[in-house]
Amino acid sequence: MAKKTYDLLFKLLLIGDSGVGKTCVLFRFSDDAFNTTFISTIGIDFKIKTVELQGKRIKLQIWDTAGQERFHTITTSYYRGAMGILLVYDITNAKSFENISKWLRNIEEHANEDVERMLLGNKCDMEDMRVVLKAKGEQIASEHNIRFFETSAKANINIEKAFLTLAEDILRKVSHVYGKYSILVYCISSTVYKTCCGLMK
Amino acid sequence: MDQSVAIQETLDDGENCLIAVQCLLLLDNGTESRLLGLVEHIKEHALFMFMHRRMAITGSDVTLQKIIPISYDFSVVEVSSPEELAVVGADTRLRVTFLNEEIEFKLPFGSHTRLFLSEVNRAWCDVCEQYPKSPKFDWLTKYQKSAKEPGSLPSIAASTGKIAKRERSHSADTRGHKEDKHTNSSTDKARGEGAHENSQERVKGEGRNELVRLSTHTVSNKAQMLTMPQFGLRDTLIKCELLKNEDAYTYIENFSFFLGTYNVNGQTPKESLRSWLGCTPQPPDLYCIGFQELDLSKEVFFFNDTPKEQEWMKAVSEGLHSDAKYALVKLVRLVGIMLLFYVKKEHAEHISDMEAETVGTGIMGRMGNKGAVAVRFRFHNSDVCVVNAHLAAHVEEYERRNQDYRDICSRMLFRQLDPTLSPLTIMKHSIVLWLGDLNYRISDLEVDHVKDLIMKKDFETLHNHDQLKRQMDEEAVFVDFLEGEIEFQPTYKYDMGSDKWDTSEKCRVPAWCDRILWKGKNITQRHYRSHMTLRTSDHKPVSSLLEIGIKVVNEESYKRTLEDIVRSLDKLENECIPSVCLSKSEFHFKDVKFMQHRAETLTLHNDGQVPCKFEFIKKLDEPAYCKPWLTANPSRGFLAQGDSVDIDLELFVNRSTAPELNSGQQQLEDILILHLERGKDFFISISGSYLSSCFGSSIHTLCQLKEPIQDMPLETIRELSLMATSETNSPDTEKALDIPKELWMMVDHLYRNASKQEDLFQQPGLRSEFEEIRDCLDTGMPDTLPGSNHSVAEALLLFLDALPEPVIPFSFYQQCLECYFTSGQCKMIISMLPQCHKNVFNYVTAFLRELLKNSAHNRLDVNILATVFAALLIRSPTKQDIMEKRKTQEFFQHFLVQETH
Repeated sequence: MAKKTYDLLFKLLLIGDSGVGKTCVLFRFSDDAFNTTFISTIGIDFKIKTVELQGKRIKLQIWDTAGQERFHTITTSYYRGAMGILLVYDITNAKSFENISKWLRNIEEHANEDVERMLLGNKCDMEDMRVVLKAKGEQIASEHNIRFFETSAKANINIEKAFLTLAEDILRKVSHVYGKYSILVYCISSTVYKTCCGLMK
Repeated sequence: MDQSVAIQETLDDGENCLIAVQCLLLLDNGTESRLLGLVEHIKEHALFMFMHRRMAITGSDVTLQKIIPISYDFSVVEVSSPEELAVVGADTRLRVTFLNEEIEFKLPFGSHTRLFLSEVNRAWCDVCEQYPKSPKFDWLTKYQKSAKEPGSLPSIAASTGKIAKRERSHSADTRGHKEDKHTNSSTDKARGEGAHENSQERVKGEGRNELVRLSTHTVSNKAQMLTMPQFGLRDTLIKCELLKNEDAYTYIENFSFFLGTYNVNGQTPKESLRSWLGCTPQPPDLYCIGFQELDLSKEVFFFNDTPKEQEWMKAVSEGLHSDAKYALVKLVRLVGIMLLFYVKKEHAEHISDMEAETVGTGIMGRMGNKGAVAVRFRFHNSDVCVVNAHLAAHVEEYERRNQDYRDICSRMLFRQLDPTLSPLTIMKHSIVLWLGDLNYRISDLEVDHVKDLIMKKDFETLHNHDQLKRQMDEEAVFVDFLEGEIEFQPTYKYDMGSDKWDTSEKCRVPAWCDRILWKGKNITQRHYRSHMTLRTSDHKPVSSLLEIGIKVVNEESYKRTLEDIVRSLDKLENECIPSVCLSKSEFHFKDVKFMQHRAETLTLHNDGQVPCKFEFIKKLDEPAYCKPWLTANPSRGFLAQGDSVDIDLELFVNRSTAPELNSGQQQLEDILILHLERGKDFFISISGSYLSSCFGSSIHTLCQLKEPIQDMPLETIRELSLMATSETNSPDTEKALDIPKELWMMVDHLYRNASKQEDLFQQPGLRSEFEEIRDCLDTGMPDTLPGSNHSVAEALLLFLDALPEPVIPFSFYQQCLECYFTSGQCKMIISMLPQCHKNVFNYVTAFLRELLKNSAHNRLDVNILATVFAALLIRSPTKQDIMEKRKTQEFFQHFLVQETH
């Protein structure tokens, strides 16, 4: 019988250009819902979701960031403490894809060194408006040695898979480092939690 | 007895032994008792391991052997070893790892151990929180030298998990060890806290593997995490919800419980118990076997230590049904009352939350010659409590027995896993099994009549005289308990070694002393009988086979239920993230002017489900939450659900912020971060257009501007101000004005209109008039300055005050202080000023001297003017003290008195 409600806490971050659908991706994952009205995220928002992986219950704390250019310097300060970053572009928006390398540089400069990254090409349900080929997404992902999914928050394609895969990758890394002492991992994750809350203060 | 007191005596000032626990150190060749203390010194923690003689009372009883600093590399893991029989609810086995060492301990089962572990855990978390600052442990150095480490604990490879051999004899410096070793055990046993725990340790130490026919079973081999307190609430919620929805994921399955009770009258086992314990056709799933009068000696009464425990446990283990393998889950004993709890091997993993307790009701209502021992456990999803009681003796004492029952019910308290929950009583369990020598007799019948009825097997008549039946019928005792039909002859009292009724002088009336009762749903009795073939005691053993419906978890539906609960809790948690809505997230201030107060209102409305604390927080690497020209009022606060608050965003450009805005080096642009505690952050954009002003512009720039400043393109102003900073001494002033025209306008206005103005520079102007004057200077409209003389005078002062570089530039300030007393040198300094500054200085002083000529009217004197103007013209680049202030005034006076004589 399970006694604990979760073993680990992972902090994840969604970044990418404004309008690519970060908030919708999060909303689909956390509430399994989709909202067509676009409300630009002005700030930093988060939701939690508990998932089970490899017999461990993991609480994901997912931070959604403002994508607008004018906020970039501020949002980068939230990278610290994230264990995983989902970098999202819009397959119907070439500019959002071109900016991927800029975002990757941002991660390099501001995030933890060992952060798990993942590239998402969102809005893949809108095939007729596609301007970014899937192969291009795959290419840039493989160049940077990160995972890639095409997703649709609207049609619920690959959303859960993306989050779970990212969480699994983090879990693998974490258990690799701390091995047998799950207690250590636990404490570290709760410390991270405190740290990222500290940042907000 | 709190042994941390003894440890405390060995420590230095400022070091505190927070908690101590006596435990067993696992060595290759057995175990040794140690004392573990958690010691704190200014937020650093270490575990001190002591050898000790008897129960440590003073510092001289303990000898420090090892110190385990609690740092990052420290970990403590609860383990159950594969090679040892895992016993649920047994002692806590710990593996402590630090640096490259690994030590294993066994800590006594119970809440004190849990408290100890949670303290250790907290200490460790403290270390983690302070990451990356690592503890230094300087205070431990002195101990490490003196720590007596007999053949110190050698580091061992992590894989072995055991400590290499240590020579006991090597601990030579512990005084009088031989003696101590002996007294050790007896005083140990006598210690009040948890006497039964000691007996358990013994059981373990002495080859239980042989006793219990089971060797491979492990309940949980993997390291178990210690429960972390900080997420307790969620845990409790989940447990609560699971309990509410129990029916959704459990079903009832029957299990056979074999219950036995035997008053052995102090005897040692002489015959096989198989005929009692192995009498069922099928092997039962669980055994709960109770004994009374295990040992009648004085020693056991005073020291609670008896060899009989081993002997009878061995006899029981060997007497269990031979068709199944059983694991001893728990042994609990109070003096002569002992309860053994076995389960079939395959059920062991479904036993959890095991607790054992004892209650004495004997002499003085407390001693252990009478009373009860009990275990409680969770089997699958049902909570079961088994009580073995030995109630007061003698025929007439049935009221006393009733009282004993009530005392046991009220005083038997089981600790819960969660220490914040109140302890469980017997009656809180859905299934209670009660067995023992309840000592109720047969009333109102002569001994011969009783024996006659027994001969005729008229148990019904006899039973009507049974005190227990009568008391239960009256609901005086065992309310809601059931007992099966009694179809066996009384089990008391026989001549030892025979089936003959008591032939002693007392010639006791036979009685059904030994009984088995139950309380709960879904319980069917399969048999209830005595076992006449056993003749060791003056009692006969009794057994009852119960089929009990136990709530078993359907893993699939459990998982589904749990997932549902987790999902709804996630939802709840997400909904409880503090949330507010903002009236606006972008604010634009158009045409902001120098010293113009502007404000906009931001309304926060708490549209979330919880109260929230909000605060504007600093951005990374910035000194304040906003630019110096902005303030948010209030900048932090508390907002109840549904409430709103208005925050004034106030903008004000003063002399310190104006220069960079005038020059275009800075814009009115900022992003505020409004942080909700434990919630989201909002970014609030502030922007504005600033209308350049002569106020806050440099003399140099103004001299270049022949048109009003607001008629100039911003680009020109920026270029000019850049020139001003780079080429201060540039002679390229052909085209430039001698002095800023704005200064001329104000001074000329005063010269012409206010020379005789009473209290000039002494009375304040009007704010509204100042604004008109400012606009006039900056736009050139209207042609003449508006406002009263006092307002113009104040504008002049403000103008001088707002100059980014004062009339006497900062670089000359020090020189001024050095020569203030010599008029000549003061003038020398002025002659060295940049041309436009020199012009301004001379122009202003000339004007002031003119004013002094009219001092009869305007009541000005040298002192007043020096005080007012020195502070504006000769400013310190840093903070100015009173002495310096006087010097600047004296400096300036030279220029005011010059031509008056």
